[in-house]
Amino acid sequence: MRETWVVGAASNRFGKMKESGREAATRVSLAAIESAGLRPKDIGYTFVSNCFGIAEHQAHVGPLINGGLGIPEVPSCTIESACSSSSAGLHEAFVQVAGGFIDAALVVGSEKLSHLDTLAATSYFAIAADYAFETRNGATFPGLYATLASAYRDAYPTRPEMFGAIAIKNHANAARNPHAHFQKEISMETYLHSPIIASPLRLYDCCPFSDGAAAIVVAAREFVKTPRAEPLVVRASARAGSITEMQDRPDLLGLPATRTAAARAFQQAKLTPNQIDFAEVHDCFTIAEALALEDLGFVPKGQGASAALEGITARDGSLPVNPSGGLKAKGHPVSATGVSQVVEVFEQFNGLAKGREVPRTTTALTHNVGATGGSCSVHIFSRR
Amino acid sequence: MADDALPAAPHTVDEWVKSYEEGGPLRGFRCPDCGLITATWSLACPSCGHIGLEEHALAATGRVVAFTLLTVPGDEFLNDAPYAYVVVALDGGGRITGWMPSVRTEEGVRIGERVRFHPSYKPGVQFVREGDGPEENR
Repeated sequence: MRETWVVGAASNRFGKMKESGREAATRVSLAAIESAGLRPKDIGYTFVSNCFGIAEHQAHVGPLINGGLGIPEVPSCTIESACSSSSAGLHEAFVQVAGGFIDAALVVGSEKLSHLDTLAATSYFAIAADYAFETRNGATFPGLYATLASAYRDAYPTRPEMFGAIAIKNHANAARNPHAHFQKEISMETYLHSPIIASPLRLYDCCPFSDGAAAIVVAAREFVKTPRAEPLVVRASARAGSITEMQDRPDLLGLPATRTAAARAFQQAKLTPNQIDFAEVHDCFTIAEALALEDLGFVPKGQGASAALEGITARDGSLPVNPSGGLKAKGHPVSATGVSQVVEVFEQFNGLAKGREVPRTTTALTHNVGATGGSCSVHIFSRR
Repeated sequence: MADDALPAAPHTVDEWVKSYEEGGPLRGFRCPDCGLITATWSLACPSCGHIGLEEHALAATGRVVAFTLLTVPGDEFLNDAPYAYVVVALDGGGRITGWMPSVRTEEGVRIGERVRFHPSYKPGVQFVREGDGPEENR
C-alpha cells in the first residue's frame, strides 16, 4: 500500500445556502484542490456524496461537478451511506490511491435541504432508517436516538446537565468556527428550558438541518512531492456495518458499528485511544457523542455522558472532542459532514483553526456514523 | 433463473404488514440453527448467519426495553403527536418497535412496562399498556 495523504481541504459556511448544491460542491472542490497546490487535471477520480439530491431534483451530480472543474473526462460516482456518506467516499478514495490505481482523488459532499419545511426535512432524515420496521411504526430520526438515550438513562445514573454540557461545549467551539451553522454560545439555562423534541432529547440536544459543502483532496505521498500545506497522513481508514434496526440489537448501550470500525482503525494505525490528541466524533445528538466516547474506547462504559461536564472533552481538556462544534453546532449537512470533520483536522494541523486551537495536533481521529449506526467510518490521521 | 426460483423468506414484508393490519398474528422468523427469534425480514440469521429461516408466530405481549415520547412526529403520524415510540421485547422471544398513541406524556410509559399489541386502523404496529383499552390516555 502506498502512503496516502490528505493534501487539501475546504468548506463553506454551513447553514443556509442560496446557491444550489452542485454550485457549492464545485466551489469547495476547486478551493480544496487549490489549497493542495494542485490543478483539477491532477484529479484521477471524484467521489461525490449528495444523499438528498432528490430534494433538488438532481442525481448523478459527479459529472456536473467535474464539468464545472473543467475535467469532464474524469470518472466520478456518488457514494451514499446516509450521514457517513462522504467518509465512505474518503475510504473509497483511500483504497484507490493507496492501492495505486490513481494518484489523487477529490472527495466532496454537499447537501441542500433548507428550502424544505421541517416536516419534509424530518421525513428526509428518517429515510435512512428501516421504513417497514421502524419509520412506519412511528419512528423519527431524533426518536431513534432518543430510544438509545432512554436505555442509557435507565442503565447509568445521568443528569440532564451532563447532556447540556455536551451541547454547551460544542456551541462554544462552533462560535469560534467561521464554517459553523450556529455561531453563538448557549447557557445551561437555555439548554434546560428548550422544548422536548423526543424525550429525553431537548431541542438543544439535536443537530440542526443544515445546508453545506466540504471537499478534500487525497493523494499518494509520491505524487505530491512538495505539499503546499501540512498534509494529514492517513494512518487508518476503517469502516464497519451493523444491524440497522434497534429491535435487532441485543445491546442498546452503544453502536456496534463504531466499536468494530474503531478496533479496525486502531489496529491499522498501530495506535491506542490514549495516543489520540483530539477527535471529531459523530454528535448528531448529545447522546451520540456520549456513546461515541465509550465505543471508541476513550472513556469506560457509562462515563461518556459526564465527560463534557467534567471538562475532559473541552478544547483544553485531556481529550478535546469536536473542536469544530461538531454536528450539533457546526451543523449537519448530511453528505458534507464526514469530509468536514477532516477539514477541521486539516485546519487544526495547519494552524488555521484560529480561536479554537487544540493544544496537541500530532494525531487525530474522525468518527462518522450512518443514521443510527448501520454504517460507520473511523479515520486516524497523523503528521508526517 | 425464474423469480420464483430465487431465494425467499417464509413471508414477505408486505405479508408482515398485512398480517398485523388485519389483527395479527405478528409474524416473525426463527433460526433453525441458533434459535434466534426476529421480526425483521431476512433471508439469513443476523446472529449466526445461517441461511434459511423458519416462520414463527411472535407473541402479542411483552415489555418495553426503550422508549421515547415524540412531540415532533413523522409525517404519517402528524395528527397523533405526542405519542410514545417503543422497542418491545416480546414474550417468548423477538423484539419489535411500535407506537403507543394512548401515551401522551413521558410519565405514561416506563422501561419494563407490560404492553400488548393492539390492532388498529391507523398505520404501524400499535401497542397499549397491558390491561388498558386504547381510549385510556395517560
